[in-house]
Amino acid sequence: MYEWLPQFITSMVVILVVLHLCLGAAAYLILLERKVCAWTQDRIGPNRVGPMGLLQPLADGLKLFVKEEFVPRGVDRLLFLLAPALTVIPALIGFVVIPWGGYLEFSDGSRVSIMGADINIGVIYLIAATSLGVYGVGLGGWASNNKYSFLGGLRASAQMISYEIPMGLALLCVVLTAGTLLPQEIVSKQLGGQWYLLQQPLAAILFYICLLAEAGRAPFDLAEAEQELIAGWHTEYSSMKWALFFMGEYVHLVVGSAFFATLFMGGWSINPVTGWDLPQSGSIWLILLQFGIVLGKVFLLVFLTMMVRWTLPRFRFDQLMKLAWEGLIPLSLLVLLMTSVFVYLGWTEWLWAGSLGCLALIWLILPWLPGSSGVNRRVPLVGSRFSHPTPDRGP
Amino acid sequence: MPPMSLMLANQLPLYLPIVILIVMAIIFGAVNILGSHLLGPKRYGEEKMSTYESGMNPIGTARRRFNVRFYILAMTFLVFDVEIIFLYPWAVDFAQLEPGSPEAGLFLGRILFFLLMSVIAYVYAWKKGVFRWD
Repeated sequence: MYEWLPQFITSMVVILVVLHLCLGAAAYLILLERKVCAWTQDRIGPNRVGPMGLLQPLADGLKLFVKEEFVPRGVDRLLFLLAPALTVIPALIGFVVIPWGGYLEFSDGSRVSIMGADINIGVIYLIAATSLGVYGVGLGGWASNNKYSFLGGLRASAQMISYEIPMGLALLCVVLTAGTLLPQEIVSKQLGGQWYLLQQPLAAILFYICLLAEAGRAPFDLAEAEQELIAGWHTEYSSMKWALFFMGEYVHLVVGSAFFATLFMGGWSINPVTGWDLPQSGSIWLILLQFGIVLGKVFLLVFLTMMVRWTLPRFRFDQLMKLAWEGLIPLSLLVLLMTSVFVYLGWTEWLWAGSLGCLALIWLILPWLPGSSGVNRRVPLVGSRFSHPTPDRGP
Repeated sequence: MPPMSLMLANQLPLYLPIVILIVMAIIFGAVNILGSHLLGPKRYGEEKMSTYESGMNPIGTARRRFNVRFYILAMTFLVFDVEIIFLYPWAVDFAQLEPGSPEAGLFLGRILFFLLMSVIAYVYAWKKGVFRWD
């Protein structure tokens, strides 16, 4: 009758632990971001509140809570209040299908899965939950009745929906390789064998780029471009409503990195190639070790994302759209085609060669592909590489 | 294989934590918005309540017409997103078939035809200039 109860209790424990971890991580990742920023810019960064500035997130949170909550004239009140919650809720419900460990084995041989919900549509649930985030951004921009917010919201919505397509197609390559939508199964396929990062390098790179764009991180953060749109869709927001937008962004980043680690880096797998690896089920100590390994991978990916943010300049909007629709989507369709043909022929261990073959094919046919319309070349900005007179290429 | 209703009954408790988590997330969002609403000070002013436009007096409302390309982009997205959703069940089934068997070939051929249809639509949209933003 109650055979589902052990799994339910485990799931609730995992959910409570990871939820608090995500919220705490969101606060401390902002501190880490400021430290990384200071480091790349040869500064010191926040170091006044507590040892090495470690109490800074607490001070920030307290300050934001007692700040004046400000609603300007002319806003759509209901949507204005709803938008921050609509950003943070989809970000918070995503992690429930990510395996944070294998199976906990009891003495009588029964076992429970260390994840929030071991449902057989896990991967689809995660994309559905994360893509709901576009509502908060779009509605926040529209409700503010501010031109900056409106443009920022429009841009962010267009960007998120555009990058969802290559993300879905890259994910599809992994699903084809693994043959399942269960995240636990995808991890266990990589435990004995290669990581999908090595089997499907092109899909992994595509997925990572789309992850940056979906989370609105640099170099794709032009929805909140400070120089042109002040802050984009959260220009008019203040106090905790503003903080919810930021929390949503960082939790989204953590969940996306965990998703990447599960799909392409084998979750808690420590051996990237075929051979010995950690067992999938075991005692509580093994589970804690697996949890630590997953968190380590998540931290590595988040750190990489931060380094990307403070190293690369921001795209222009037409470049962003061009990259998604004329670059990533054809490329991901090609990778999908290659993967399905290789799966049909049963050459799944040669998928990495197929990825390299795709790149070689693109390099070969590059001269015959339709190029850019040449608009950028006709802007002779003084001091730029276009400042010298170039022949007019026509419209 | 057990009957479908029984399998569903075995699966349903797995979805319970998701429902609880969604409720917790909604409570978290509501508490944060309400909390800052109750805790923060309130001071009103004629200039302060106006829309922020870099210190200038705001001109008109922001809810105006905007570029039609956003609409076209959203419609193109819809086509591709629905197509991708159709591909997921196919991918799971296709990967479990015997490689090289005739039915796997049938599966592959049908989905390639399906993909070809959307690639034709994609090329048409490209030629029409849907993806041009300059």
